[in-house]
Amino acid sequence: MSKVIKYSLLVNMIFIGWATMVQAYEVIDVNNGATISGKVIFSGTLPDPLWFDVDKNPEVCGQRRSLAKVEAQDGLLKGAVVILEGVESGKPFPKQERRSTGPGKGTFQYTGGATLGLKVNAENCNFGPFTGVVTPDEAVGFVNQDSIKHVLHTFVSLDAKGSVLRTLHNRDLHPNREIHRTFSHSKLKESRVVRMTCNRHDFMQNWLYAVQNPYFAVSDESGNFSIDNIPPGHYTLKAWHPILGLQEQEIQVTPGKALATDFAFSE
Amino acid sequence: MDDGKKTLLVGIRNMVLGLVVGSLAIGGSGVVSDAALLDGVMGGFEKSMGERAQAKGEQLVIGDFYPAERADSHGPIGAMGDHTHNEGEFMFTYKYMRMFMDGNRDGTKRRSKSDVLRDFAVTPTEMTTQMHMFNFMYGLNQTVTLTAMIPYVLKSMDHETRTGVKFTTKTSGFGDIRLGSLVRLYAFETPSIGSHRFHFNAGVSLPTGDIKATGATPLGVTRLPYPMQLGSGTVDLMPGLTYAGGLNDVSWGVQAIGTIRLGDNNQGYALGDEYEVSAYGAYQWAKWVSNSVRLKWKDWDNIEGRDSNITRRVGGMNTPLVPTAQSDLRGGERLDILLGANILFPEFMELENHLGVEVGLPLYQDLNGPQLESDYSFFVGWQIIN
Repeated sequence: MSKVIKYSLLVNMIFIGWATMVQAYEVIDVNNGATISGKVIFSGTLPDPLWFDVDKNPEVCGQRRSLAKVEAQDGLLKGAVVILEGVESGKPFPKQERRSTGPGKGTFQYTGGATLGLKVNAENCNFGPFTGVVTPDEAVGFVNQDSIKHVLHTFVSLDAKGSVLRTLHNRDLHPNREIHRTFSHSKLKESRVVRMTCNRHDFMQNWLYAVQNPYFAVSDESGNFSIDNIPPGHYTLKAWHPILGLQEQEIQVTPGKALATDFAFSE
Repeated sequence: MDDGKKTLLVGIRNMVLGLVVGSLAIGGSGVVSDAALLDGVMGGFEKSMGERAQAKGEQLVIGDFYPAERADSHGPIGAMGDHTHNEGEFMFTYKYMRMFMDGNRDGTKRRSKSDVLRDFAVTPTEMTTQMHMFNFMYGLNQTVTLTAMIPYVLKSMDHETRTGVKFTTKTSGFGDIRLGSLVRLYAFETPSIGSHRFHFNAGVSLPTGDIKATGATPLGVTRLPYPMQLGSGTVDLMPGLTYAGGLNDVSWGVQAIGTIRLGDNNQGYALGDEYEVSAYGAYQWAKWVSNSVRLKWKDWDNIEGRDSNITRRVGGMNTPLVPTAQSDLRGGERLDILLGANILFPEFMELENHLGVEVGLPLYQDLNGPQLESDYSFFVGWQIIN
């Protein structure tokens, strides 16, 4: 056997070895699945939204933009990502589209199925909701629906609140174009928190949490979250907000049961 | 040179060769593609910096080489390879350089025409070098920016003979094409300590410039002396290290670059190796305009070997013809101060436009003379980025 073939085999074996260390999620039929639901509570003083004077492309982005990093009403937090970790097989990823409620019309589109299938549609200088999810090792589509250039800059946050950010991608997003970028598992091994910004428009800021299964939810306007069709088992339930941090609790899920649990964050 | 020193120099040269070839190979292959070279291996530093940033309520950002769109986001226009580009980004630069040399100098002292003509049959009196540079940069990926530079060179040198005859020689044509990779090493920033970016410059200069240029002289049409040739005739390595930083309205940078000749050219000589260190500071008055001050120190060696087609001596007395034809009178060192301005124009068709101007004056010159001394240098360039 030639040296080239031998070395190729060795390199392939190393890569296969690494690849198998990252366990893939498997879609199966879930019978008599359980549900976890609850509220995300916020206490403390709500920070004022940030205001930005737009100096680049105001004709598309508007003259002034606001960014509410924490949104809560009557003590109930919107936009917290709730994740059930440790589920290795279960329901398929959901198909959904989540639209930003702030200035601009960006959307996170999840095509669902065996994978998350995230597509970020930037529109009116807005990537989408302030928080969302992403899966490692899956190509994410970034679509610029604006007639101006954006510069997509993503980071992995080395802590839950984004105090230490390491660049992952830094790429021009030309008008009416789509690019694909992967958030590799190896880059997210230190942290699951991803930040997304536009270098040209500093008010375009979003956060993603890297999930490995479809058992996640984002709290709604009333702070509610619900995760259904969960196979029985012992899991870790986490609630994360990029400004308020991460909380977790251990959960024992029994078949067909509805489990209620809340998270409470304070500023 | 003793054998030990020679072995050491060969060792250093081979190491530099390895670094440059390695970096060019990284650039060409895109093996490392999605991070600066040292990202992920600075754990201890990042932890300590991160803790300090957190204590101040700040963010530590690692690996961001993207300079904000401001006038001083690029270094002074006379500097080469001062910044890298993001993946997919393309920059075209047209740069014009003019350097004027007037009068001779030996060591640090000026030499008059008559001083030079005591030892030589002809003295150069002044020289103008102009260069039109077409520079391309492309962000291959998150690690490597590819560069290419095509120069068109025009040279003109005035002379005077012992008998008072004045004549001018001229050459023009394409110079040595330079190809290179800028390899991102590491970048970090916080609001209070500013941004700090490091990259490695790996360049190679190809022998595309003419080294057999001839011109009309009182001796007839002859091969012109070394400074009038358009290229080196050798493959030259150009390794370097660049650091750039910025905080609020101030930016700064330091760059060290060498030019190392690989062997002799086909005319039997090699231009001397060159070493250059630049340090600059810039202040932005507004987002669209900044001024810079740069100190540039350059050291260059004598020519090794000689071109037998360049006439060195004339007449029955075998008088040395002209200092520029003497390969052992080509080395020297010089410290220049350069004052510059950068202007950022409004975007046109989503293209970023920069105009840069820089004027340099020598502060100190020590030449293996007699050699023409530098009087001023001038750069103007237009940069377009997609």
